[in-house]
Amino acid sequence: MSIGKTGQINMIAGVDIGNSTTEVCIGEVLPDKHIRFLSSASVRTTGTKGTVDNVFGIRNALKKAVKPLGKEINDIDLVRLNEAAPVIGDTAMETLTETIITDSTMIGHNPSTPAGAGQAVGELLLFERLDRGKEGVPYIVAVPESCGYDVIADRINRASERLTIVGLILQADEAVLVENRLKNKLPIIDEVRRIEKLPDGVPAAIEVALPGQSITMLSNPYGIATLLKLNAEETRTITPIAKSLIGKRSAVVIKTPGGNVKENVLPAGEIYFYPEEDKSPESEYKDYFSTPGGSPVKTAAVSVNLDEGAENIMKALKKAGNIRDTGGQAGTNVGNMLLKIKREMWDTYGYEKTDVRITDILAVDTLAPVLISGALAGETCLEKAVGIAAMVRTQRLPMQDIADRLEKEDGLLVRVAGVEAVMASIGAMTTPGTKLPLAMLDMGGGSTDAALVDENGHITLTHQAGAGELVSMLIQTELGLKERQSAEQIKRYPLAKVESLFHMRMESGQIMFLEESIDPHFLGSVILLTEGGFVRIEEELPMEKIVQVRKEAKRKVFLTNALRALEKVAPGGELRNISNVVLVGGSAKDFEIPEMLTEEFAAYRIVCGRGNIRGTEGPRNAVATGLVMSYVGEL
Amino acid sequence: MVIRRPSVFIYTYRPDAESLREICAGIEEEGVFFEVFEREEKKCAELAWEAARDSMLGSGIGINGGFAALSIRGLKEGECADILNEPDKRALRRLGGNSARIVKKQAFKVPSGPEEG
Repeated sequence: MSIGKTGQINMIAGVDIGNSTTEVCIGEVLPDKHIRFLSSASVRTTGTKGTVDNVFGIRNALKKAVKPLGKEINDIDLVRLNEAAPVIGDTAMETLTETIITDSTMIGHNPSTPAGAGQAVGELLLFERLDRGKEGVPYIVAVPESCGYDVIADRINRASERLTIVGLILQADEAVLVENRLKNKLPIIDEVRRIEKLPDGVPAAIEVALPGQSITMLSNPYGIATLLKLNAEETRTITPIAKSLIGKRSAVVIKTPGGNVKENVLPAGEIYFYPEEDKSPESEYKDYFSTPGGSPVKTAAVSVNLDEGAENIMKALKKAGNIRDTGGQAGTNVGNMLLKIKREMWDTYGYEKTDVRITDILAVDTLAPVLISGALAGETCLEKAVGIAAMVRTQRLPMQDIADRLEKEDGLLVRVAGVEAVMASIGAMTTPGTKLPLAMLDMGGGSTDAALVDENGHITLTHQAGAGELVSMLIQTELGLKERQSAEQIKRYPLAKVESLFHMRMESGQIMFLEESIDPHFLGSVILLTEGGFVRIEEELPMEKIVQVRKEAKRKVFLTNALRALEKVAPGGELRNISNVVLVGGSAKDFEIPEMLTEEFAAYRIVCGRGNIRGTEGPRNAVATGLVMSYVGEL
Repeated sequence: MVIRRPSVFIYTYRPDAESLREICAGIEEEGVFFEVFEREEKKCAELAWEAARDSMLGSGIGINGGFAALSIRGLKEGECADILNEPDKRALRRLGGNSARIVKKQAFKVPSGPEEG
């Protein structure tokens, strides 16, 4: 190794390029070969981890770290980069069921202010044809937005003298206004956007729930059968409608001839796990991603169908042991999903197909609100879905290219040194109150890595798919958020509901009073308490629901993964053989994940908690610190 | 004993009849009571602030001609939560609705759909 410009290595920088942040630790080598830590810094990673785009982020992080020392980056004698594990986490989501309404057959939604209550059955009659209604026939009248509430009320009042009108469907948000002006009270549903799709003259049933309740008749298949006089076969076909109306405050079900709603079960497809040991020629699967339709020969692979659910998928994975690669049945959902993940890697790193392998997956059951095609008021139906995080193993990441670039452009001495997880373990050991044997759980954005360091310094490693990004994806899917960014923020910050200009209720139930009045546009909203101020959640979701989804997503991913990862590295596969677990990495900074794990592991008598690197850094900077410390060991 | 219904106050000065009607409809649709008063000439924001101060529910609207504003008790004098300078029918309806939502502690309605810009 050539020695730095002055011939002497004094100041060392450890640089850890992560999926989301680049961390730097600066240390000074003392004459007695001890390290004195000087400073640290953290910036956003620029570009995809392991590509030369990272150089910008590294440079910024180094500048940020040396600034408080009154130095320039040229004063750094040696930069040590992490040898990033050539594994990258990725996520995908696929719905397994789908409700299709081929013709207008239902409306079911939660307008903020429906009016009246109760249920009724009648023939649909369009407002402009009111005059043509026949006496003695019960009618449900559909009114377009172009009519004002007083006109509607007036005409309905007059028409009621001649006709039997049992319910109203409005396009505008005027249900209460109309009801207040009606002589006979009726159930009224409003805010039905695509009212022009309503067919004239077909039987329909309408229901508005009492305040604080949800509908009971139309969310029950037999209820619909009773109201619309359906036979057993028709009742069967109407069941998906009843299912999608559960929990709604108002609904209309329209009987169109020939059951037009069906619940499609999409071909989910099989996942194939190819175990590592199996090197027999029969298990060649080189063309599995190009086999159209037919299933390729895979004698030794463990296969499982995606629609068996997350639990069975994970069981099959466990049965397969160490995985060399994972594939999906061609032409199916899961096949496309896994192919998409691999393709992204090929695109990013420009590798040949065979260089990318999926060595681990984490499957999670979830429910996704999916827009029902053919529905009239933008209704969604909760469809069963599976979220998958995959651990993609590629060739060695081109860390040396990054090192070369830094050497050339900044005149620094740069070395790629040390396996990431080993460095993280060394860093984790600087947490006060730890001793060997020590397990380290690095919870990042893309993967959950575990390492166990025994008394002799031997390290056992594992990389597991699924971490922070999968949590964000689950939150986004289950809450039906438009932007991934909102899900990211929901994951990161606690919630509060603004109850007046001067106080808000935290999700913990605590009340916080404000000195200055809050922006009136936050009033009544659910907000996130970020360090940069309040962020309003645009979607109308109750705070309790968001909290529940957020916690559940974190539990599903991190509890499952922590147990899985530690079982892999624990001596004899027994969790009880581990005494200390230190949590590091981005997701260990989370305000509730470490507590969830501490509680869970307490049951195994394991001391588990958020790491505190060097007693000052909290759970971050473990790898960078390890890189600096390991330099002394190499002397 | 005189008992007054808790209601949103609307202070007006020569209000545009159509604007007033839409605002009232907005409040009514949300199921909240309101009362309309004639006042001396002031800017609509000031009228709104006074209406909010005087309303038992702490929510008030001020209308001067075609201009309308919404205020909440607790805001600094003359401040308002929303002000409409070139109001259309939907915006007025929404302003009324939001004054009721203040009382119900619900989030404001925000413009939706491209036709509202």
